[in-house]
Amino acid sequence: MLSMKNISKVYQTEKVQTHALRDFTLEVSEGEFIAVTGPSGSGKTTFLNIAGMLESFTSGDFILDGVNVGQLNDNQRADLRNQKIGFIFQGFNLIPDLNLFENVEVPLRYRGIKSAERKRRIMECLEQVGLASRAKHLPQQLSGGQQQRVAIARALAGEPRFLLADEPTGNLDSLMARQVMELLEEINRNGSTIVMVTHDPELARRAPRNIQVVDGQIADFTLYQHGGASVPRKSNTVAAVNPMSVEV
Amino acid sequence: MYKAMSEIKPIVNALKRSKVGAILLMIQIMITTAIVSNAAFIIYDRSTYLQQETGYPEDEILYFAITTFGEDIDLSQLFEETETTLREIPGVIDAAVIAALPLSGSGSASGFDTLPHDQHQNGDNRNVRAAYTTGDDHVLNTLGVKIAEGRDFRPEDIVVTNDPSMLAKVAIVSRAFAEEIFPDENAIGKTFYSGNTGVEIIGIVDTMKGPWLKDSRPNNVIIFPRVEARMYQNVAVRATAEDRASVRKSIEDKILAQYDKRVVINMRGMDEAKAGYNAADLLMLRMLVVLIVVLVMITALGIFGMTVFNINKRTRQIGTRRALGARKSAIVQYFLVENGLICLVGLFFGCIGAYYLGGMLLREYSLPALNNLYIVVTALSVLVVSLLSVLLPANRASNISPSIATRTI
Repeated sequence: MLSMKNISKVYQTEKVQTHALRDFTLEVSEGEFIAVTGPSGSGKTTFLNIAGMLESFTSGDFILDGVNVGQLNDNQRADLRNQKIGFIFQGFNLIPDLNLFENVEVPLRYRGIKSAERKRRIMECLEQVGLASRAKHLPQQLSGGQQQRVAIARALAGEPRFLLADEPTGNLDSLMARQVMELLEEINRNGSTIVMVTHDPELARRAPRNIQVVDGQIADFTLYQHGGASVPRKSNTVAAVNPMSVEV
Repeated sequence: MYKAMSEIKPIVNALKRSKVGAILLMIQIMITTAIVSNAAFIIYDRSTYLQQETGYPEDEILYFAITTFGEDIDLSQLFEETETTLREIPGVIDAAVIAALPLSGSGSASGFDTLPHDQHQNGDNRNVRAAYTTGDDHVLNTLGVKIAEGRDFRPEDIVVTNDPSMLAKVAIVSRAFAEEIFPDENAIGKTFYSGNTGVEIIGIVDTMKGPWLKDSRPNNVIIFPRVEARMYQNVAVRATAEDRASVRKSIEDKILAQYDKRVVINMRGMDEAKAGYNAADLLMLRMLVVLIVVLVMITALGIFGMTVFNINKRTRQIGTRRALGARKSAIVQYFLVENGLICLVGLFFGCIGAYYLGGMLLREYSLPALNNLYIVVTALSVLVVSLLSVLLPANRASNISPSIATRTI
């Protein structure tokens, strides 16, 4: 479903080349729930941005649902993003001037879905996150956890092939974080593929598959059985000294 | 397929929730539309007025006045000789003593009747206002106007006198006067009256303006064949346009050489006199042009500034929209629709304002009624300027990377 082979991302300034991702290789199958962890600056958000086509990559191959992303122009990437991917952001990124209904509607408008169908999907998704009765409320009238649930409804409304979640519980207290995580797990159980970037090892452990990114490469991945018990950990290449920035 | 118009409802809802900036911009657009449409109409009206055909070759005619202080000479004789002297100057086409100078802002006007004063009680009299002047059989040639119907003055028509009660029996009139006093009939040979004195129309000139372009009847002019010889006397000289400057230099010397107990004053070309008369209008016209440019620029800058402000305020929102699947063109369209909506509401109230401002100017300052076409054209122009002002910042917004959505600031 998602296949990255030897993806590299280099940020080039006048004097410094920064390697955010190096030969990053990952296969994600349909229905998986993957947690991506790693220290700050390790490249996990860059991975997420590239996986979500929010950023281009410098080299490598990236196939998303059979489409070679490297060959797409900006409009095609926007359309593919709209059709295949649902985003959940750490800061929720709801539009403050739009009510919940209108916020969930945003990606559907870009797809040109007709009004009646939009309404059906929006109410269905708001129902799923338990906020249908507050469709006319503005985001600032909700708690952080509720806002993130609206963001999840927005991500689900487009019926995407997979969800990309960037620290979805990063701005929430532990209770709300648990509720959001339970919601994501339920969505995954219903068949959606989820890739979640997180700092929180507890949350990561709840995902069946963990990937640890260090210095722009996959350092480890771990498979968990139900209930969080680990199965043998497979080691991937980890550079002993792997400077992220080099003078050029 | 994404349709920008589908954004109207959420944009309207969003504007309702955050309305201060939008209302201020609407007010600005409203004021601009109301003022610019009226100012543009006044500019058109004034420039039509300034460019109107006067009937005279303005760049060929010179005016001046002679003040005679010598009392040892026959003024009638002197002025006849003066006219002859002027006509002999190389380059001069003709010269004439004249009572009132066209386009100068100074002259005489009166109401003239179709019936003698004594018979006003008995029948339908029509009274028509006209400016009038006097001159001899050279006056039409000096003013550079031609008889369209009838005939020019003959020497035997000329009344030479300083007695105001002695009136000429014939006159040459402008077509505007002829058609107003004798509508639907040929005025040649008809008699109009000044008091009880009848004056026969012997000639009609198609276009001939009086002294005041702003008069209620600027085109109604009568020339009587009459010569007065006064201590203060206006004279008109017509020379070819190329020779007018050299003629101007030599006039005073020739006149004083003929008789030196007099002074030549206030020498100016007809075009200069007209420009002086219209100076205030020209100044107003220029100021209105400046006003329009400044107002439109302020509005454009206001829209530009508000869009830039909105983009800076909504950077993450724009990134999020891009992440959710908005193409760059959808972002540009979003800002165009948003500003277009604000602009349309501003224009709606601006058009109403323009209409009422036009009515007020008509009532209070007797300006001509505002042509609604000016409101429509101004509104469309403001809309275009407004959308153009949005384009640049909106394009900038469309280049905001969708990855901004995942950044933690």
